[in-house]
Amino acid sequence: MKLQDTSVFDANSPQARAILHLFYFDLVISAVIFLAVASLVIYAVIRFRQRPGEGEPFQDPGNPKLETLWTIIPALILLALLVATAYTMRVVNPPVIRSEPNVVVIAHQWWWEYRYPQSGVLTANELHMPVGKKWLLCVESADVIHDFWVPGLGAKVDAIPRNQNYLWITPSKTGVYPGTCAEFCGEEHALMGIRVIVQPQEEFEAWQQSQLRVPAKPSGVEAERGAQLFEERTCMNCHTIAGTKARGTVGPDLTHVGDRQTLGSGAIPNTWEQLTKWIMDPQKIKPGCNMPSLKLTESQAHDIAIYLEALK
Amino acid sequence: MMERNKMGMTLFLLSEAVFFLLLILAYAFYHTSGELGKQAANALDVVKSALFSVALLSSSVTLWQAHVCLKSGGRSQARLWLAATILLGLIFLVGQGTEYSHLLREHVTISRNLFGTTFFTLTGFHGLHVAVGLALLLILLGLTELGTAHEPTSSAMEAISLYWHFVDGVWVVIFSVVYLWEYV
Amino acid sequence: MSKESPTNRAINSLADIKEYRSMLSWITSVDHKQIGIMYIVSAFVFFLVGLGLALAMRIQLMVPVSHFMSPGTYNQIFTMHGTTMVFLMAMPLLFGFSVYFVPLMIGARDMAFPRLNALGYWLYLFGALMMYFSFIAGGAPDAGWFSYAPLTERGYSSSPGIDYWALSLLVMGAGSVATGINLIVTVLTLRTPGMTLTRTPLFVWMIFFNAFLVILALPALNAALVMILADRQLNAHFFSPAHGGSALLWQNYFWLFGHPEVYILVLPAFGVISEVIPVFSRKVIYGYGFMAASTVAIAFLSYGVWIHHMFATGLSYVILYVFAGSSMLIAIPTGIKIFNWIATMWGGSIRFTTAMLFATAFLIQFTVGGLSGVAFAAIPIDWQLTDSYFVVAHIHYVLLGGTLFAMFAGTYYWFPKVTGRMLSEKIGKLHFWLMVLGFNGTFFGMHLLGVAGMPRRAYTYLDRPPLGTLHLISSLFAFVLALAILVFLWNVVRSLRKGEVAGDNPWGGWTLEWATTSPPPVENFDRVPPVRGRRPLWDLAHKKEGGQP
Repeated sequence: MKLQDTSVFDANSPQARAILHLFYFDLVISAVIFLAVASLVIYAVIRFRQRPGEGEPFQDPGNPKLETLWTIIPALILLALLVATAYTMRVVNPPVIRSEPNVVVIAHQWWWEYRYPQSGVLTANELHMPVGKKWLLCVESADVIHDFWVPGLGAKVDAIPRNQNYLWITPSKTGVYPGTCAEFCGEEHALMGIRVIVQPQEEFEAWQQSQLRVPAKPSGVEAERGAQLFEERTCMNCHTIAGTKARGTVGPDLTHVGDRQTLGSGAIPNTWEQLTKWIMDPQKIKPGCNMPSLKLTESQAHDIAIYLEALK
Repeated sequence: MMERNKMGMTLFLLSEAVFFLLLILAYAFYHTSGELGKQAANALDVVKSALFSVALLSSSVTLWQAHVCLKSGGRSQARLWLAATILLGLIFLVGQGTEYSHLLREHVTISRNLFGTTFFTLTGFHGLHVAVGLALLLILLGLTELGTAHEPTSSAMEAISLYWHFVDGVWVVIFSVVYLWEYV
Repeated sequence: MSKESPTNRAINSLADIKEYRSMLSWITSVDHKQIGIMYIVSAFVFFLVGLGLALAMRIQLMVPVSHFMSPGTYNQIFTMHGTTMVFLMAMPLLFGFSVYFVPLMIGARDMAFPRLNALGYWLYLFGALMMYFSFIAGGAPDAGWFSYAPLTERGYSSSPGIDYWALSLLVMGAGSVATGINLIVTVLTLRTPGMTLTRTPLFVWMIFFNAFLVILALPALNAALVMILADRQLNAHFFSPAHGGSALLWQNYFWLFGHPEVYILVLPAFGVISEVIPVFSRKVIYGYGFMAASTVAIAFLSYGVWIHHMFATGLSYVILYVFAGSSMLIAIPTGIKIFNWIATMWGGSIRFTTAMLFATAFLIQFTVGGLSGVAFAAIPIDWQLTDSYFVVAHIHYVLLGGTLFAMFAGTYYWFPKVTGRMLSEKIGKLHFWLMVLGFNGTFFGMHLLGVAGMPRRAYTYLDRPPLGTLHLISSLFAFVLALAILVFLWNVVRSLRKGEVAGDNPWGGWTLEWATTSPPPVENFDRVPPVRGRRPLWDLAHKKEGGQP
């Protein structure tokens, strides 16, 4: 699926488009005002440059009528912008009254948790949505203030601890939409990436079903060793894998981690080599993240990686 | 035009008013959004606080009286009124101290809950301002002992009086918001 | 250029004033001119430090996924960059110009409270040093110059950096409030006879209202700082949501301070421009009334817009509508000033000295910054672009392209008065053009970065075009900007040693600071000229025509 842009000009929802239109309106206003100011300045610079032998110019103290004019005209322009603003706000993010969210987004230092209340799916770092449906996201935080921002799909909203904020998104095109945390939240704020995968309805349903399945027991020597290590080496203190003893909630749910396109919330692509590197020393890839280096040998990390990659 | 020291003090008190306003607003905000009201009602002794509040407010009267005496030349009388002011201010602080120790004995600390957090911060800073005010009044008392000319003492007197009245005024607001709110 | 002196003094440089010759005289000074110079020199030193921090940031961001520095280091650096530029550079710079020139411009001998003036400076310096001490005392603050809770709570920020940040700001804030009080009382009580409030130079008028902003906004910050210190050191719960505290309370209190603060950073710049443009256009300021009134309007309105820093926090629609409106409203008095300044140039006889060049660039660059600000007032645009590089572009266009350029204009204008020497116009022009190139090259592309989805306060970014290219260009031009500053430094050093002697009034200025020697003697004036209008020296020169009000 195509990786979309993160430009606000690449609007893929009615919400993002409404914002873009308001932005165009504002750009036009700004261009007009800027050109007016710049041309006046440049003209004055050229025309009223001091000529040799020039006497003192006329000391014009001002003209209240003219000054009133250039008070009122900008005021009217801004009034128009204000009206456009109010209208666009209602289109982009109408108030939420008695609506159940389709997905609850919980921000953590430095990864994203997604819960789907209707189906019971729980996953991390990849948000799947069906195309063409108007969805309500409920955005929360488990620790400090974060912010959910996917420019291609619309507005951003803060994730505030002990608070619920709401965001309407109607993705109009399938694709993979990257986003990012947009409120400074500590050391790895820069690599707290968001990935929204917008799929046709049937694919989305299929994905949900697959997420609810408990993954099969590991097959193959390496995977079995990996599963063993996962249990023994404290991984389960922080991570959950359905169908195993791992029930930790400090870090992302890994039940279907093999399905994901990236690791570390968008920091690196999801391949078993990258996963091996990550397991050996996450601090090297995302320094400051909450996963410590576990002092595993490369072969141990490799085994765990093989195990995890099979969790699809 | 106001005399410059008085003007400077007025402006300073304006900035302090903003500072106290924000601490009071924090108290009020948490009061309306949670358990704080109940915690306050349980912990505070309104009657005792009212008593030592009376002391503080009376000290404003005695200070004004000291000023009147100084203006009409009664230096020794002014000294007495000034001393009374300081004494009443001390009574307030001691009273505040007993309120604090009672609360601490009940394990209501700044970290116990939001009431503790906002109460101790707000009244703590107020108490600090009272203490500074007492120090200023003591200096004033010293000046009236030493000074023969009225001018410097009068300007200092006016400025410090303004400060003291302000601190009392802030207490009126704090007392109303913190102690009396439960009864409204 | 007039080198005639109305007095008989042979004062041509700071060295000629015997009271200034010893180091001790500076350290113990209560002379507003010495204190002003100390503020300005200290501010410039911290400017260089902040610039160094910025260059380090730009090196880190030059290429995607860079490992030049760790995120922990970067976060301290960007926090100290912002904190330094706002509190250790801009504010003291503006205070320095204020305490130096306000007494002179109103014909006074010194500030109303000279010792308080000195206290203000030393509190600033002590607070600034304490802030930097944090680097070697466990770690500098690393939660941004705005330090949002609950990230700043002990549990999430265990190094003492935040404590140093809060304590240093409290110390410096006390100094700022003291200076604000001092400026207000000075303007109200020490104006020379004949100088009514509406006859004060616009620089004085703007500093006067700015001082009110200072004394009413800093306390809001002080309250917030006291609260975060209580949380961190005494386990209080003001901002910890887990105990019922509010994460948003910090933001509200911080921006209650923070928004007036940005006007504190810009009003003095407006004052400088209002002095420079008329003198070099040889014309009276156009519309003194509207200029003065719009200043008061800005001062009032600046307290009613703070929520616009929080548009993405999920507030109710009523609040959002009100603050979108107020934020757009405040653009109007600012716009008036731009038009009035242009109207002053219009029909004038303009001399493009370096000071005037900086003032002219200010007009255009500040307009860009103002317009990007208005974009944020249109809330849905803010919902896309807040916390992105579009904001970084906006703040640097108003603060660097605006305030700093204006302060350079003021520096070229007033350096002769302060030191007795002219800055070289030739080097000045090199400085100017390098700055225009460096500044715009560094920051214009940041509008594009924001629109392309680049978040701010990020130590690195993934390789998604055009992010890498835009960042690279910005970083390269940052070095041009740094070069410009070095050129300025060279100009200052060279001019102090062998700059042309200035004389009392090298530019033909009309306000009272030009009616004494350069530099002024300790007591400022031998005799203050009579004041019967807004331009005392212009009136004197036009005595036959009766002058103008």
